[in-house]
Amino acid sequence: MNITFETKSDFTVVSISGRIDATNSNDFESELIRIFEDDRFNLLINCAGLHYISSSGLRIFLMAQKRVIAVQGHLAICCMQTMIREIFDISGFSTIFKIYGTEEEALQQTK
Amino acid sequence: MILLCYQSCTMEAKGKIQFVLANKADELSLLSAKVETLAELWDFPDSLTMNLNLVLEEAISNIIFYAFNDDSEQKIYLTLEYEEATLSIRITDTGKAFDPTGQIPPDITLSAEERPIGGLGIFLINKLMDSVVYSRNDNMNVLTLKKSMK
Repeated sequence: MNITFETKSDFTVVSISGRIDATNSNDFESELIRIFEDDRFNLLINCAGLHYISSSGLRIFLMAQKRVIAVQGHLAICCMQTMIREIFDISGFSTIFKIYGTEEEALQQTK
Repeated sequence: MILLCYQSCTMEAKGKIQFVLANKADELSLLSAKVETLAELWDFPDSLTMNLNLVLEEAISNIIFYAFNDDSEQKIYLTLEYEEATLSIRITDTGKAFDPTGQIPPDITLSAEERPIGGLGIFLINKLMDSVVYSRNDNMNVLTLKKSMK
């Protein structure tokens, strides 16, 4: 797993690549918590390079969404590979996250 | 920790492979690497490889993290068999009895605020496989999963 951060307008863009599984989901969680501790609650998670996610990773996405909703922030996801999208669909996560095809679209529409 | 194969370490185009894993989280990374190699040899589509990896991670991490009451080293037996475009997975452990087919599925229609965190692992196994069969034999949990590629 590799995570990079970038600020674009009011959003922190978190680009995640590789795998999120039971062995590294805690690292992903720590990175997101660090962002929240900086009072940054407008997040766009770019999943273009993410090719594997298990329930351990899904729980971190849900944790982040709960945290963001609690302070009226925004959490959007973009650029998911088909297989990742399928796991989100099966889990019912596609209806609880705003999911976009591109970063631009996500940033324009998540206001 | 090393991943042992006690029957045959030769991965063939078709057939059966068996692994013995220890109840340690490190084994999950080793297993996923093995599965990637095997999936290439058995010529699985990418989506099936990911689903196989996911199902194995969910089932085996449950055993590693929850099946045993102490930290003593235990063995988990995994058999993968691919025949007539059907993948069969058998996972056996000596941990406490746990029937993953008897779990109440999560309500996936709830909002983010209402949804409890967790409970998705077994749900994903059930959703991604064609059949999930559990039995308790001689103080062992035996989980048999099947997925047809036809």
